[in-house]
Amino acid sequence: MNRKLLSMNIGTALAGLALVLAPLTPAAAARLGNATVFNAASGVTIQVNPLDKLMSDGQTVRFWVFCAGGGGGGGMGGGGCYPSGPTLELGVGQQLNVSLNIMMAPQENPPYNGHTIHWHGLDVNQSEDGVPETGASVLGDNYSFNVDSRYVGSHMYHCHVHTVKHLEMGMYAPLVVKAVDNSGNFTNVINSGGPTYDYEWNLMYSSVDPAYHSAVGDSTTFADYNPKYFLINGNEGRSKTAPAETVTAAPGKKVAIRLFGVQSVNSSFEIKDAGGASQSFTVHNKDGYKLPSTQTLTKLDLTPGQTADVMLTLPSTTGSWYPQVTFKNLRNGGAYANGTSYVRLNF
Amino acid sequence: MTNALALARPSVRHLFVGLLCLPLFLISAVSQAASYTLYIKAGTHTINGAGGTTLKVWGFTDNPSTGPMVPGPLLESQEGETVTVTVYNQHTLAHNFVVRGVTTDTASIPAGSNKTYSFTTPKAGTYLVSDTLNSNINREMGLHGALVVRAAGGVKKAWTNGPSFDLERVWIVADMDKPHWNDIAGNGGSVSTGTYKPNYFMMNGLGGHDAMHDPNTVLQDSPGKVGLVRIVNAGQFDQSLHFHANHFRVIDDDGLRLSSPEYGDTINVQAGTTAMVLFPLRSGIYPMHVHSAQLETANGVYLNGVATLLVGQ
Repeated sequence: MNRKLLSMNIGTALAGLALVLAPLTPAAAARLGNATVFNAASGVTIQVNPLDKLMSDGQTVRFWVFCAGGGGGGGMGGGGCYPSGPTLELGVGQQLNVSLNIMMAPQENPPYNGHTIHWHGLDVNQSEDGVPETGASVLGDNYSFNVDSRYVGSHMYHCHVHTVKHLEMGMYAPLVVKAVDNSGNFTNVINSGGPTYDYEWNLMYSSVDPAYHSAVGDSTTFADYNPKYFLINGNEGRSKTAPAETVTAAPGKKVAIRLFGVQSVNSSFEIKDAGGASQSFTVHNKDGYKLPSTQTLTKLDLTPGQTADVMLTLPSTTGSWYPQVTFKNLRNGGAYANGTSYVRLNF
Repeated sequence: MTNALALARPSVRHLFVGLLCLPLFLISAVSQAASYTLYIKAGTHTINGAGGTTLKVWGFTDNPSTGPMVPGPLLESQEGETVTVTVYNQHTLAHNFVVRGVTTDTASIPAGSNKTYSFTTPKAGTYLVSDTLNSNINREMGLHGALVVRAAGGVKKAWTNGPSFDLERVWIVADMDKPHWNDIAGNGGSVSTGTYKPNYFMMNGLGGHDAMHDPNTVLQDSPGKVGLVRIVNAGQFDQSLHFHANHFRVIDDDGLRLSSPEYGDTINVQAGTTAMVLFPLRSGIYPMHVHSAQLETANGVYLNGVATLLVGQ
């Protein structure tokens, strides 16, 4: 699936295009990565599509993925139809306007039929929380709320129906709250009152146990988690030479890297250079909230459901760094086989 | 859903001895004492609801005429008190009794004998109580609980001059591997500890279906009230607890008090450690659940794992 493929629905596509362009004001930073990005305040329709993804070992795994900006069922069209997409951005004080349309969506049988969107980390009211057990509709919904400046940073959205299954299926994506200027344009600060960045890059981690993708209902399969694939932005990246994503930024610039931990196991994030030397970075936010004081680290653990916003300054000379995530089991922190995923940052 | 009232844990017995008749002004100057008598027994523990089961367990209880409790009776004290715990080992194997970070005697209590532990609580907080013997098998089998140390004078502060709260809950989370550990150890067999695939995950001994209705587990009060949640991970798996509705403030990370406000919506409590958070309730009903796939289930049945509710009403 071409991630940059926009909707074939012209009206929605134009709206989506406007949304993509809206943040690209002179004050905005450049985005790194392949993500399809929408402004959540401008009327986004989310659908759920099936996606058969060929994994590195030749196996095909069925995912259910969010698609934004229209497109029909059956895998046609839409933006960001892959695990970890599409990205939504929401300005402080602006009204989120997102509809979930589950027409033709793949789904389970009752009691786990349908889908919702849970706005993980945004502290919304019960009516917008997307939790079926507390009253959310699973047949499609319109979501509307706004957040204040405390939330500038990284959050996520995901389905909250039978999450042991649906989260695993790939129904998750980044949601970034942005500070805005007096005109309502997004600004490139890491948090309210925080430093500016030149580039921003979202890295969403997830883990895949193929057995969970074929099991349905109250299956004992869901009692034992054995992940075999480890994704960043929906792709495996098993080595530095086959990274999940490669991006390029200018030397000497400041890069904000947003980390979204939707995997079901523990993880450690590191950045290493071509020779394997660890590079330090500075953590500004955790779970989308500004830290009382920044932390400069070479390794950051992110457990299931956590997010973090980090920043670094690139060297003034050219080169490549390899941000990487090691996925670890919940019992003793041992790394999984093939459990390190890489992305590549050229400068 | 199961009737919550029928499943509420027995209320904690906090047995003060002496000093209570002293004039009030003397109490703050003289340490008090709490004493408990615990019994180690073998028995069973039932997870109700879909996916539930009855597990063979070993546990502490404060009632000589009943089976083991999982988790064990909550031990409570105030800063600076002397706590005395007498443990009768009524099981066929050796066990011990350790309050992590407080007591240091890890020697075993032979089957059929007893031992008395006396200690002064060092600082207000939340402490894991467990049997540390047998390569974590004893803790996994149910021999775990918590000691809560409150600020002196019973004030509603996390510690003396610490942050205030309106209500508190103790969440003891744990996991059990029925086929590989409980069935085998419970039948006198030898557990191969290299394999651990827990299929039951509990809060205060309850599956989620019960924990979402248990008044001692659900965090419920008027909107705006601040709950102090004391989290103890007595299990073998790290647990990443996600709160809907609001960000919490972490005030204690495994005994380390955080002086600067650090907020989050998901807290990782590593196996065998503790944390304390303040959570301001918001109007409505919201879940709190672990964010790792299978830990939300009872043998694969959704939401009968580690889950409860945050209720502002």
